[in-house]
Amino acid sequence: MLFAGLDIGSTMTKAVIVDGNEKILAALVGPTGAEHRHLAFQVMDETVRKAGLSFEALDFIVATGYGRINVPFADKQVTEITCHARGIRAIFPGTRIIIDIGGQDSKGIKLNDAGTVANFVMNDKCAAGTGRFLEVISETLGIRLSDLALISAEAEGFVKISNMCTVFAEHEVTSRLAEGARIAEIVAGLHEAIAGRVVNMVRHLGIEKDVVVTGGPAKNAGLVKAIADKVGLPVWVPPEPFITGALGAALLGKGFAKRNATRNQTRRMESVTFFA
Amino acid sequence: MNNAIRYFAGVDIGSVSIAAVLIRSQKREMAASEMIPSGGNYKDAARKVLNGVLSKAGIGVADLAGIVTTGLGAESAPFPARQVSDISCQAMGCRRLFPQVRTVIDIGGQFTKAMRITPEGRVADFLMSEKCATGSGRFLQVIARILHVNLSEIGSLSLQSETPVEFSTNCAVFAESETVSRIAEGAKAADILAGVHRAMAAKVSMLAKRVKMETEVALTGGGGEDTGLVQAVGDTLGVRIWVPEQPRLSAALGAACLAAAD
Repeated sequence: MLFAGLDIGSTMTKAVIVDGNEKILAALVGPTGAEHRHLAFQVMDETVRKAGLSFEALDFIVATGYGRINVPFADKQVTEITCHARGIRAIFPGTRIIIDIGGQDSKGIKLNDAGTVANFVMNDKCAAGTGRFLEVISETLGIRLSDLALISAEAEGFVKISNMCTVFAEHEVTSRLAEGARIAEIVAGLHEAIAGRVVNMVRHLGIEKDVVVTGGPAKNAGLVKAIADKVGLPVWVPPEPFITGALGAALLGKGFAKRNATRNQTRRMESVTFFA
Repeated sequence: MNNAIRYFAGVDIGSVSIAAVLIRSQKREMAASEMIPSGGNYKDAARKVLNGVLSKAGIGVADLAGIVTTGLGAESAPFPARQVSDISCQAMGCRRLFPQVRTVIDIGGQFTKAMRITPEGRVADFLMSEKCATGSGRFLQVIARILHVNLSEIGSLSLQSETPVEFSTNCAVFAESETVSRIAEGAKAADILAGVHRAMAAKVSMLAKRVKMETEVALTGGGGEDTGLVQAVGDTLGVRIWVPEQPRLSAALGAACLAAAD
């Protein structure tokens, strides 16, 4: 048996294929373009090839993420909250709190004893506390996202960013630079600002261990450390934080197939044109 | 000496520009005004703007009977002056221009303020939005940059819109990427700007309602120069909006009036 999960996020698209033993056969992460529908075919096709499988061999396909309705070949659509909960439970069974930082939103998810969603909080209204905040400011600083953690590791203390709004914070960072602040302390200040915003939101759920941080920005060890300091507990990060939603979607697909859930009768792969 | 003409100056030292207004004691009529960019040195700029306004009126410092400074850099003035908060000055300036006005909305580059004022021009209630760029002029700057539109053209362009874009977000950062998608879909600059004006007006209106807005309503600050924004705020609030001829001078005018009242 083979199950696929496809997570179309605002910034990145992720796909995972698992077998009946819940082993990951292939995973793929790529940027989300403007054309979701086309992209869904392309990413699924590539992931299937990577696993050395055929599209027809997939027993169940679950789509999630904010672009999930644009996956015409999916058998089911499931919210990313449910998928993240399922994916994280597979990696860290003792999880009670998931902090998911996406490209354009951030969420806190509370799991009950059974590992299913008990409650959640979410910010998708404001760029502060989301991956976008980091993207905008690192561009202002001329730093690659992947370098943020290393740079902040050299910081002695941090520069306080007092503006919550990304637009104003961008201006504030420029002023601090002009005043001679070091980039390392500024980056540490950014991590501090995002961590503060996200953890304050998640506090409404009642934070208890184990705490997991996931989503693309969880790859940034500097940000994760700032979150851990605010939470006051150790926090866990999946080996590949991008794919937990897609993994959860694939695993939920296994459950749906087991319960003989109705499949998408017209599921068909459209021919995919690759641009060289 | 009671019949001699006396002059009073108000100087508004802001982070973007510094404005000075000179009034004559009789009827508090405006004698001269001057506005320059703030630059990096408030002291020098404040001195320069005061000298500028004095020479425009053809008088010297000795003819000044009082000076009030206001704004972010009020205390940087290199001349003896009383400092008054910018909201008090704004209220007094609007009362001088529009005695019927009871609510003042001031839209600046970074802050948006709403205040309810008494018939005497005192502040009865006041709120400021400083946490989010959506209600401020910065939102327009961000979008205008993508559209390659000059700030001075925004108003007239927006008024040409027939179907304003409806943004799915109230965040200036998210709206920036939404703008890019809308341009790709073929949306016109006029419709995008009108959409931004509506989003801003919604935010500004919330502020006005929270200070228990009373008519009449005035709009000051750089936002007052944007005819599209003024119309959007008026439509959203369902009232007519009074705008000073020089919307960025009203706080300095109020400061001069307060100097005359000393």
